[in-house]
Amino acid sequence: MATKGMQRTIVMKKEEMGKTWTRDWYLVDAKGQTLGRLAARIARVLMGKHKPIYTPHVDVGDYVVVVNAAHIKVTGKKLEQKKYYRHSGYPGGLKEQTLEELLQKHPTRPLYEAVRRMLPKSTLGRRMLKKLKIYPGPEHPHQAQKPKPLETLP
Amino acid sequence: MRVKGGTVHVRKRKKILKLAKGFRGKRHSCWRIAKQAVMKALKNAYISRRLRKREFRRLWILRVNAASRQHGLRYSEFMGGLTKAGVKINRKMLADLAIRDPEAFARLVELARSHLPAPASAASRSS
Repeated sequence: MATKGMQRTIVMKKEEMGKTWTRDWYLVDAKGQTLGRLAARIARVLMGKHKPIYTPHVDVGDYVVVVNAAHIKVTGKKLEQKKYYRHSGYPGGLKEQTLEELLQKHPTRPLYEAVRRMLPKSTLGRRMLKKLKIYPGPEHPHQAQKPKPLETLP
Repeated sequence: MRVKGGTVHVRKRKKILKLAKGFRGKRHSCWRIAKQAVMKALKNAYISRRLRKREFRRLWILRVNAASRQHGLRYSEFMGGLTKAGVKINRKMLADLAIRDPEAFARLVELARSHLPAPASAASRSS
């Protein structure tokens, strides 16, 4: 019977994460990387879509440490023209900031936002995002986890 | 003579209310609401039985893609190579192999690669 066959697909339980399966740590140097392309690569790893054990209802993703996030690159005139909007909730409370201003004020925010918006908008998605560690400069406090370099496109 | 059909009436309702067990609030006890809830539940169950087949296939493809990219082949290249090699393992078993027996899966990827034209197998983006 067709149904019976499908139900024999290996489905991971959330309790198995950390026991049968472990999480890896990856290190990415954002220097000179294009914002969206890098974010897409990171989002896949956070979701665990790069692993054969990928299970939609379980967070099987790995940790990603990003250094040099302040030196991210964008194409075209996005530095002046890409805008980030937020609303305070009060009338007329729509604030806008260009990418340039945001990078000045919060060097890690543009990459964080880009990845966040690529992840599922759910409790699970927000949990996945916690595995992303971004730092503006070349140092990071995760030496103990021995992050492996993550291949990215040049 | 007027027919009231007492037992038939009770039986009909019992049948529906039995299906509504475990529903929230009035939906498991109140006849009118329970009837609607059961109709909707059966409809959803019908749809989901069909969707399940598509969703599982999607999951297998996702897993096979992840596994073959670890060996440097995209999903489409991998499946294309397997077809050319005459391998008829289905997607479910391929996904299963990738998890339980990575070495066997790696050999399948090599087999697929050997049946592809040379440039396609070179420098593909791993993800």
